[in-house]
Amino acid sequence: MALKERINLPGEARTWYGELPVQSLYTAGDAGDRFLKTLKEKDQFMGSPCTACGEVYVPPKLYCEKCMAELKDWIKVGPDGALESWTEVHVGLDGKRLAQAQLVGLIRLDGATTSMVHLLAGAEPNDLCIGMRMTPVMKPAAKREGAITDILHFRPK
Amino acid sequence: MSERIAVVGIGATQFRTITPDVSYKELMFDAAVRAYDNAGIDPRRDVDTFVTCAEDYIEGTSIFDEYVPDQLGAALKQVHTITGDGLHGVAAAVMQLRTGRFSLAVVEAHSKASNILTPDGVAACAQDPVYVRPLCLNSHFIAGLEMNRFCAESGVTPGQCAQVAVKNRGNALSNPIAGQAAKLTLEDFRHARPVALPLTELDVAQSVDGAVVVVLATESRARELRTKPVWLTGAGWCNGSPNLETRDWASPKYVTTAAAMAYKQAGITDPRHYFDFAEVDDTYTYKELQHLVALGLANACDVGRDVELGKTATKGKRPVNVSGGALGMGHMYECIGLARLYCAVQQLRGEAGMQQLDKARTAVVQAWRGVPTASAAVLTLAT
Ligand SMILES: [Zn+2]
Repeated sequence: MALKERINLPGEARTWYGELPVQSLYTAGDAGDRFLKTLKEKDQFMGSPCTACGEVYVPPKLYCEKCMAELKDWIKVGPDGALESWTEVHVGLDGKRLAQAQLVGLIRLDGATTSMVHLLAGAEPNDLCIGMRMTPVMKPAAKREGAITDILHFRPK
Repeated sequence: MSERIAVVGIGATQFRTITPDVSYKELMFDAAVRAYDNAGIDPRRDVDTFVTCAEDYIEGTSIFDEYVPDQLGAALKQVHTITGDGLHGVAAAVMQLRTGRFSLAVVEAHSKASNILTPDGVAACAQDPVYVRPLCLNSHFIAGLEMNRFCAESGVTPGQCAQVAVKNRGNALSNPIAGQAAKLTLEDFRHARPVALPLTELDVAQSVDGAVVVVLATESRARELRTKPVWLTGAGWCNGSPNLETRDWASPKYVTTAAAMAYKQAGITDPRHYFDFAEVDDTYTYKELQHLVALGLANACDVGRDVELGKTATKGKRPVNVSGGALGMGHMYECIGLARLYCAVQQLRGEAGMQQLDKARTAVVQAWRGVPTASAAVLTLAT
């Protein structure tokens, strides 16, 4: 270390504890609100197709990230889809080992060209394969909040 | 045509898992003193512009650019901080030098990872707050999904990915500043705890503290200095879609695009046969293989076999991460790319000590900003 004087005793090294108290609101946006509301109230997945390039976004967007076109159309997609990839997660948000591993998948809903991330259930990792048919399991209607967690998970169909 | 740009000074601290005796400012100061001494310059008198790379949340402060000038000798001088990898900082400095208004630039990045008490929480807060974060998943899940898809499409096996860790952590044994050197075997992987399958804990680069400072100069300024210049022949960068929904899960096209930008500047048309060695991002084992394909250095169908056959080993046809990479030297947040660059410059100067390659005249250096990003930077270097 290019310092003329150094701490030589471990007990002399000091630290101060601090926290960043940060709280935020996150806006789902026009497209996000409509997507989550339709899912909550009608059990229906919606996507936004780009007539210019053919992309179909799920969750929907008001703009196409491929060609910057404004997206005005809405189409019904899913609810079933195909598994694009999966993983079994063994560590939690605090970095500690989880008592119960979480199965997570990438699901391309029928009619979409993009893939959603969500939890998987009703299968062992060894049973899963790319292209496998999946179907969503929704929360009971009375318990829904208009959030992505209104979908409990996807399971093999 | 603007002047060529050279690396004329490099400085790095030791990379260590904990550094309780020094602050992040002292780490930066240490690397800076070494880099300025290496270049034979006085920062207060000679340096025209400073670029540092850091992210507020990782530093545990707001507005971190306020915290960087003093320990670099940059107070009351031109300095700015970008939230990108150190190689993005190099690209920014190159552009400033190419304007002709500056002749000597300094780029800095560091990691004081041991001060971050909730690294997984910081990483999770980079996930989309509406569609992904409510699922309460450790961000390694993104690497697990990507590794699974990459292996399925390329035919690369988790065992071949494990070979990357065996190679890189073994390479780090002869790197005196590396913080995560180890003699691993494939047997160790059989007992490794799962993180996000197929990823195990041995597939993930573990963090270290440290800092790297690099001094860049225009050709005319470089000729006035005592160090042998290493030419920065190309600098490219690119971000893919930040959205997990719309990205390509098998192939990081943003790396290919960043590389194409750098190769074009350097006039490189056949990257596979051009470079003597490569220093690429290996934050996760599979990433080294995926990045080699994206950089145009290997075919997806061969890249797993190549590591098994030792083609990317120190004595191989084209060595990859002779330094030990992030797996062997340690994960350093914004400093991962500069750590790769530091070791590449040592090789090109013929100053890599026990790690010195016989043939080291051209190199490609690549960085990725980690999950959940789709952000990469690529540099090409030549003697
Ligand atoms: Zn479009």
